[in-house]
Amino acid sequence: MAIDTVPPLIAAQLNYLLSHSPLPIKVEQMWSGSKNHGLLDRFTLVIPFCLDYIRWDVIYNALYPLAAPDIIFGPEDESFHPYHTAGGEGDLKSPNKSLSDWNCKDPTRLLSLILELRELYMTYQRKRVGGVEDERVKFELSTIVPREGIEMYMSSGIEKTEEVKFAVPLLGVDINKMVTGCPWRHQQKIFLQVIFPVGKKYMSAPSAPRLKLVDSPELKALFSIEDFRLPPWLDGMCMAEYLPILEGLLQSQIVDAVSSIDVRRKFIVALAPLFGRPVEADPVFCRKAAFLTSSGVFTFLHFNPSGAPIKSSIITEFPWSPRWESSEMAERFFDFLVEECLNFKKYCNESLLQQR
Amino acid sequence: MERTVAQSSTPQGRYTLLPSRYSSEDILFCIDVDTESLVEMKVTGPNGRPITRLDSIKQAILLFINAKLSINPDHRFAFATLTKSASWLRKEFSSEVESAMAALRLLSADSSSGHADLTQLFKIAYHEAKKSRAQNRILRVFLIYCRSSIRPQHQWPVTNQKLFTFDVVYLHDKPGPENCPQKVYDALVDALEHVTEYEGYIFESGQGLSRVLFRHMCILLSHPQQRCLQDLIDIPKSLTKKSPTADSAPGEENPAASSQ
Repeated sequence: MAIDTVPPLIAAQLNYLLSHSPLPIKVEQMWSGSKNHGLLDRFTLVIPFCLDYIRWDVIYNALYPLAAPDIIFGPEDESFHPYHTAGGEGDLKSPNKSLSDWNCKDPTRLLSLILELRELYMTYQRKRVGGVEDERVKFELSTIVPREGIEMYMSSGIEKTEEVKFAVPLLGVDINKMVTGCPWRHQQKIFLQVIFPVGKKYMSAPSAPRLKLVDSPELKALFSIEDFRLPPWLDGMCMAEYLPILEGLLQSQIVDAVSSIDVRRKFIVALAPLFGRPVEADPVFCRKAAFLTSSGVFTFLHFNPSGAPIKSSIITEFPWSPRWESSEMAERFFDFLVEECLNFKKYCNESLLQQR
Repeated sequence: MERTVAQSSTPQGRYTLLPSRYSSEDILFCIDVDTESLVEMKVTGPNGRPITRLDSIKQAILLFINAKLSINPDHRFAFATLTKSASWLRKEFSSEVESAMAALRLLSADSSSGHADLTQLFKIAYHEAKKSRAQNRILRVFLIYCRSSIRPQHQWPVTNQKLFTFDVVYLHDKPGPENCPQKVYDALVDALEHVTEYEGYIFESGQGLSRVLFRHMCILLSHPQQRCLQDLIDIPKSLTKKSPTADSAPGEENPAASSQ
């Protein structure tokens, strides 16, 4: 991003937003409002919402740096009018106030404006979902309302069928706290995305909604949701019944994932007497450790024609058994690698001969 | 002497892996390009072409970078040279191998420098270290020094703010009446102990063998936050069978532990 052609006050607000936002907001594109000055005073923000993204254009004017920006919402949201909130004059969170009191020199302003608008957008979507003429969706909504942190979204395209999407945060536990030495900057969470089609008729045996688990980006170091199979949605179930079952299963898998960290830790430590101290190991998730060993006199060092050292391919088949204690595992692993090392040496020698 | 002690040892030096800070590294190579970097190594290259210290150093650095990135692709590298003082060769830290190769191609020896002052190197490192820390990284300075008679000096103040780790590889001629590699080595050790945040390692060799240099580079892959004291280094261990086998292939290399 060519930050140096962005006017400084705008850059300060945008940089503050990008580095301090509690949500991973990104800039998709930047452009200039005028051919004459060419300064980048407009950009599109990609804002996470309901496990998807909404795009809002932020329109500054480089010629009027003191003025607050305009925000242009997506084409489906023509009925979103945050300036006409019921709160009115007394509502401190009204964007009216943020915009009328705009301070261009305060780098925090853009972020607070965007977050306020996002809150209002959530309320707007909630109203839309609430207004849907679908008994089943209405029922689900009523049972789910007490849960905190739910986002919902109604998609309405002229071509598409209407759908209501719920993003439900799972597990009241703080996953970050479960990991000793946790390096995560953001709170890690797992969400269930539930999508119901909107229809006018009430069906006596409504079909299961579309379900998907979504996790925050860094969680995979601890636990991979790809490996988790969703429990079946039985006939006649509703979210209020399904969620506790799902959460119970997830909880126990996460607890297992946390205790497997220490199993891996023990294994790495068991390798050290045989392989020497690792040159580098991941001390928090214990998923990686690198060891330096030698075979014979340290003479062979092979480079391929572009000058890079030759590496073996990744070994996926190696002796392993859950019954082995970590020290026995380490010894078998060591013996296996002694063999592999000889094979690799042969391979290097052969490729060297071929190069000549 | 206050030094940040790596978390991963018991008092006896036995290896433990407790949950702790684990930062990616920004590694600043500083390569001595005095004429002594053109001294030839003992073994010639393919076609009998002589290999200079600088040639070996370039190859060793490439080996190091490739290995480091295999271990963790988030580590980054930048380059400086040392003549009378330090100056930038490639300032931006990058984790791209091609970028490192391009920088190393620019590396060439200079004329004889006379003296070597490390103050500017430490200044640069101190400044860069602050930037690294702001990104939750740690900075390491990796000096490769080639002069057999010139003791490096510096005017770096005594400070509690040690923000970077300092490693040294010292390649020199065999000691003789015309040089003083021992004194140079001692000066490098002093400098290391003066500035380093985590345990810094220093290796020297006067043998002129590339494989010795490569071996030292490999040990220097050690992550500063997880190092033991240099005296307790136990790597590389030998990958040989513990029990003798009846059918060792003839011509197999002698598995005696390397003594270097």
